Amino acid sequence: MKMTSFIRLNTQLFYLVFFVCIALNASAQKDTSASLITGEFKKMSIEKFLLQLEEQTAYRFYYNTLDFDSSVVDIIVIQQPIHQVLKLALANTGLVFAEDHAHQFFICKTIAVKTALAANLFDDALLKQTATKVALDTAETFNKEQIATLENKLYVIGNKPKGTLAPGRVTIAGYLRDAKTGEPIIGASIIVETTKAGVISDQYGYYSLNLSRGRTAISIQSLGIRDTRRQLMVYGEGLMNIDLQAQVVALRNVVVSSEKPSPIRGMMMGVQKLDIKAIKQVPVVFGEVDVLRVVMTMPGVKSIGEASTGLNVRGGASDQNLILFNDATVFNPSHFFGMFSAFNPEVVKDVQLYKSMIPAKYGGRLSSVLEINSREGNKKEITGAAGIGLLTSRINVEGPINKDKTSFIFGARTTYANWLLKLLPNEYKNSQAGFYDFNLNISHEINKKNHLYFTGYLSKDRFNLNNDTTYSYGNQNVSVKWKHVFNNKWYAIVAGGFDKYHYDISSTKNPVNAYKMQFDINQTYFKAHANYYASAKQTIDFGFSTIYYKLHPGKYSPNADASLVTPKEVQAEQALESALYIGDKFAFTPDFSVEGAVRYALYSFLGPSTVNNYAAGVPKTENNMLGTTVYGSGDRIQNYGGPELRISARYVLGDNFSVKAGYNIQRQFIHVLSNTAAIAPTDIWKLSDVNIKPQVGDQLSLGLYHNFKNNTIETSVEVYYKNIKDYLDYKSGANLVLNHHIETDVVSTKGKAYGVELLLKKSTGKFNGWLSYTFSRTLLQMNDSTQGNLINKGALYPANYDKPHDATFVGNYRVSHRFSLALNMTYSTGRPITLPIGSFYYAGAERTLYSDRNMYRIPDYFRADIAMNIDGNHKVNQKFHNSFSIGVYNLTGRKNAYSVYYVSENGKVNGYKLSIFGTAIPYINYNVRF
Amino acid sequence: MKKLTYYFFLALVPTMSCKEKYLPALNLPATSFLVVEGYINSGSGATNITLSRTIKLTDTTTILYETKATVRVEGKNNTSAIQLTEGTPGRYTIAQLTLNPNDQYRLRIKTSNGKEYVSDFSAVRSTPTIDSISWVRENAGVQIYANTHDPLAKTRYYQYVYDETWEFHSKYSQSLKLTYGPNGQIKAVGYKDSSTFNYDSTVFKCWKTANITAIAIATSEQLSLDVISLKKIQFIENGSWKLSQLYSMSVKQRALSKDAYRFLEQLKKNTEQIGSIFDAQPSENNGNIKCVSNPNEIAIGFVEVTEEKEKRLWISKSSLPNWVWNTGCDIEIKVPNHPDSLMVFMPPSSYQLTNVAETNPSGTVITYVFGAASTCVDCRLLGVNKKPAFWP
Repeated sequence: MKMTSFIRLNTQLFYLVFFVCIALNASAQKDTSASLITGEFKKMSIEKFLLQLEEQTAYRFYYNTLDFDSSVVDIIVIQQPIHQVLKLALANTGLVFAEDHAHQFFICKTIAVKTALAANLFDDALLKQTATKVALDTAETFNKEQIATLENKLYVIGNKPKGTLAPGRVTIAGYLRDAKTGEPIIGASIIVETTKAGVISDQYGYYSLNLSRGRTAISIQSLGIRDTRRQLMVYGEGLMNIDLQAQVVALRNVVVSSEKPSPIRGMMMGVQKLDIKAIKQVPVVFGEVDVLRVVMTMPGVKSIGEASTGLNVRGGASDQNLILFNDATVFNPSHFFGMFSAFNPEVVKDVQLYKSMIPAKYGGRLSSVLEINSREGNKKEITGAAGIGLLTSRINVEGPINKDKTSFIFGARTTYANWLLKLLPNEYKNSQAGFYDFNLNISHEINKKNHLYFTGYLSKDRFNLNNDTTYSYGNQNVSVKWKHVFNNKWYAIVAGGFDKYHYDISSTKNPVNAYKMQFDINQTYFKAHANYYASAKQTIDFGFSTIYYKLHPGKYSPNADASLVTPKEVQAEQALESALYIGDKFAFTPDFSVEGAVRYALYSFLGPSTVNNYAAGVPKTENNMLGTTVYGSGDRIQNYGGPELRISARYVLGDNFSVKAGYNIQRQFIHVLSNTAAIAPTDIWKLSDVNIKPQVGDQLSLGLYHNFKNNTIETSVEVYYKNIKDYLDYKSGANLVLNHHIETDVVSTKGKAYGVELLLKKSTGKFNGWLSYTFSRTLLQMNDSTQGNLINKGALYPANYDKPHDATFVGNYRVSHRFSLALNMTYSTGRPITLPIGSFYYAGAERTLYSDRNMYRIPDYFRADIAMNIDGNHKVNQKFHNSFSIGVYNLTGRKNAYSVYYVSENGKVNGYKLSIFGTAIPYINYNVRF
Repeated sequence: MKKLTYYFFLALVPTMSCKEKYLPALNLPATSFLVVEGYINSGSGATNITLSRTIKLTDTTTILYETKATVRVEGKNNTSAIQLTEGTPGRYTIAQLTLNPNDQYRLRIKTSNGKEYVSDFSAVRSTPTIDSISWVRENAGVQIYANTHDPLAKTRYYQYVYDETWEFHSKYSQSLKLTYGPNGQIKAVGYKDSSTFNYDSTVFKCWKTANITAIAIATSEQLSLDVISLKKIQFIENGSWKLSQLYSMSVKQRALSKDAYRFLEQLKKNTEQIGSIFDAQPSENNGNIKCVSNPNEIAIGFVEVTEEKEKRLWISKSSLPNWVWNTGCDIEIKVPNHPDSLMVFMPPSSYQLTNVAETNPSGTVITYVFGAASTCVDCRLLGVNKKPAFWP
């Protein structure tokens, strides 16, 4: 047991001893005085010697390693009492020891610690008061909050009973926070060392842990914080907040812990979590730290190319991901033609991707849920950061509004990418492209039981090319969340908000045709979630959510007085999507646990609407339209829905190995209609209606997890098989914009996806990183002739994003605390494309002939990037902290194909390969924290 | 959207993205589908139908004509079909059709291998006249537009087919020529017209005609009136020789059905508007020709009844002050009039004489001559010196 600071010990000594005394009765049952020590302690450091003693005996030692110099212990003892052993060992070292009644030894230089207390320290009244309090119920003791900051201090929870401690289990709860900034630590695992039972802190840093009364120790681990433990004396229920040290300031060696349990012990499978620190190390194009690009390096996640931030998770389309930014749905997560993601890295705390076992509280998308959690503002002081890159500048400011109660964080980012456009030929010199985004998060602690969170997000992209047509699009999100803790076992969250994505295209050059075209999708949601820690073995959660959609599929209107454009508007769509769910996590044994949840999703397409009717059993075409039916406002025109199962089980074999399996069903009621390979800002969303069915998918997955080398190396193998029903693909020559009968231009396809994902990850040490490999296929099929012409004659065909092989290496080598090197390498099979099968002469030129879809592939993709991250000095108390990142994207300059295509030029067909980044791109980024 | 981003990313080529010629080795099937192009002319003039076959992408043949087929125009009510005759191989024509405006017509084709194809029946459609072909000089060049309207608002879909012709002059006039000895060696320099010593106007003034290969279609379906305003049909960049003297464009307008418009639109997307990051994937696009003998066989093309209305545009150099064009002919070289020098500095394969540079003081003997690259002297190398019939 090492003490990080002896000075701190002195200031806390009183409390320490106080708690030790209280603990005395409880632990005195275990007789330690009789232990005799036998052993050979040859030429070992004093610290190591003491640690060995701790292992052999119940004695605990408190010391400061600085006192030990280079003294060594060199003794052999047989059946010796502890005092004798210590005397022998510490002879000639100048060290002395003292023992208290709890058999704790304090080893100091020269002067021994006094372990006895002044006689009048506790009077009877105090003791009586303590005794009576024990009888009080949980709710009252709950108000007694304490913050556990130190590893070596014994924290007492609940009130000490008068007599002997009754056995049994109690629940303790509290928040994990960053000691420096007060921000919550999310997703940390809190493990009871003796039983290995553990929980994970939630998105507010909240945890609730069920454990046995008595003395115990818990260990806490999370990304970005130093592994640590707390010693507890648990008498009853209570609240304990735990302040943790961020790992970044750890100039001292990190103690390698005995537990690294997350992938082995955790229930979740198919979950990838990355914190912003890891994200920032990965080299990216132009040095723009990009959350989504790094997510793409994880197994099972792909994208169609460099100009798209659309994620394809386990063979899902890019609209099948629910992208949540603090509960707010972001419909288009990209900036600047899809080259950058729309999240300001200075505000993001971490991201978590669920690709297999999606928690029951989430639904509405087939493939995945990507949670992007932003930081809470610093609760102690005003701080900020600013960064300058080649394309964007960003700033964020955070701080308390009301110290320790309310904090805010504000981030803003803007681009000056116009210089890129200035390099264009004359013809385009009037072009402009720009974007900005703003984030504002406020968290407020009303009291210990009530927390309020506000998130606001605004993004906008705008570009016009030579003043002809202007495109703009943006996201707007507002959410408010209230968390109420009833007691250590119960808490509830209520959230509501509004999300909007819109785009518009306008042109004013020719007044006769001047137009404006607008699209928007809006959703207003409300959700309530409750969590009940029934026991250490069981956690139950349940809740409901409801979303009201209002979608304007397209409005086309004149944009000048002289314009002859006929206003045209595709009727608005509205729908209500609700879900009710209950889930239960149950541990049959510490090694075997099962999580099951049922979610019932119900969707109603609502009036007012004029619905096109089609003859049954024939393709939906304009010719087969039988007329329309008009529905009034609020009519439930079409209902869809059904139960969704989410089941997973985990079995741990030994300390380092576990097996997990899961099955889940998802339904998706909103679709993106697109016949482009990339997410285009002009893609439109469509609600399921009478003629367009929701998509349904189910997934069966199995995972094996094994840790090596003291859990510093994590490995996993996950396999999955997925069925997709009613995924929309487009008909040849589909017109998706301003179409009053969009169902005539799309078809429902069946799909299947399967794959194997391997991950090897080392997250600690000087050298850290991961290596992932994915084999996966995604195949679609349209063999229903009642829908129209078969696609590829009804055979299975690969989806646009079907890339069977995909391997990624992300590595970071910390040369010193101020200098690190990062290397990123990725290889994948080329994506499928449709290439011509022949050519013919028509309309004055040779033209290409197309037939089956996606029968060819572009060349394979390979890229290596390198980056150096240089930090300024680590002095804590300076005004500015500087850092640089310098790197090269696409180090080998390989001209990776984004697409291969044939185009008729001057009457001849020419084949081309288009690379988005056809050369090595160096970059530099400067950041300053204040 | 698509078009613009296309330009954007192409334009980024010099900075970071890159586009390079790429021909993957593809194992493609032999297709050889029938391709039918043309329209049944409801106006005055010939009906021309071209039959050809799809070929392999790697084949060097430009167009593989389908010959010896029987091509007929047949009406829905009037079963007596009118047969077209094959003029040049693969081109089937009839000088003038008389169609009943209330009937519907289609094409019936029987190929020499015995297979029969028909197009869908098409109503008889007439085409409004072109209001104007206008042009505007912009920063980067000259933009040419078509403008039309249909007061009855029945047309809505239009196609433009156009060709351009321009007069151009050689950079250097030519009054001299070489004479050759019996073995083909350069013997001496002489005047082309030894009586007048004038320059040779037949190699000085030429015309060039080009068919424009881009599909140009327009629709007024979004407008309250059936108006096509400022439909971009051609852009002539600054520095083009097309506008050096006199330029003319013949624009032919055809009324289309909605389906024909969609066919051409998709053909344009598949073959011209492709290559940007947001492009729609190319897809199957076959038209309205069906193979009667084998319904599974693919045939390509869209044939319907329509007519053409033409309008001609003229742009003279006087309306384009300071139009600078680049001929690549800045160098005229001066060479001693000696066979050896001429051979070395003006090889006849790529150079021609222009005019006299220096003579002896009395002016009787040419001592130095000028010469330039052949294409700067003889305009016939770039065009034809026969003035088109319509040229003023």
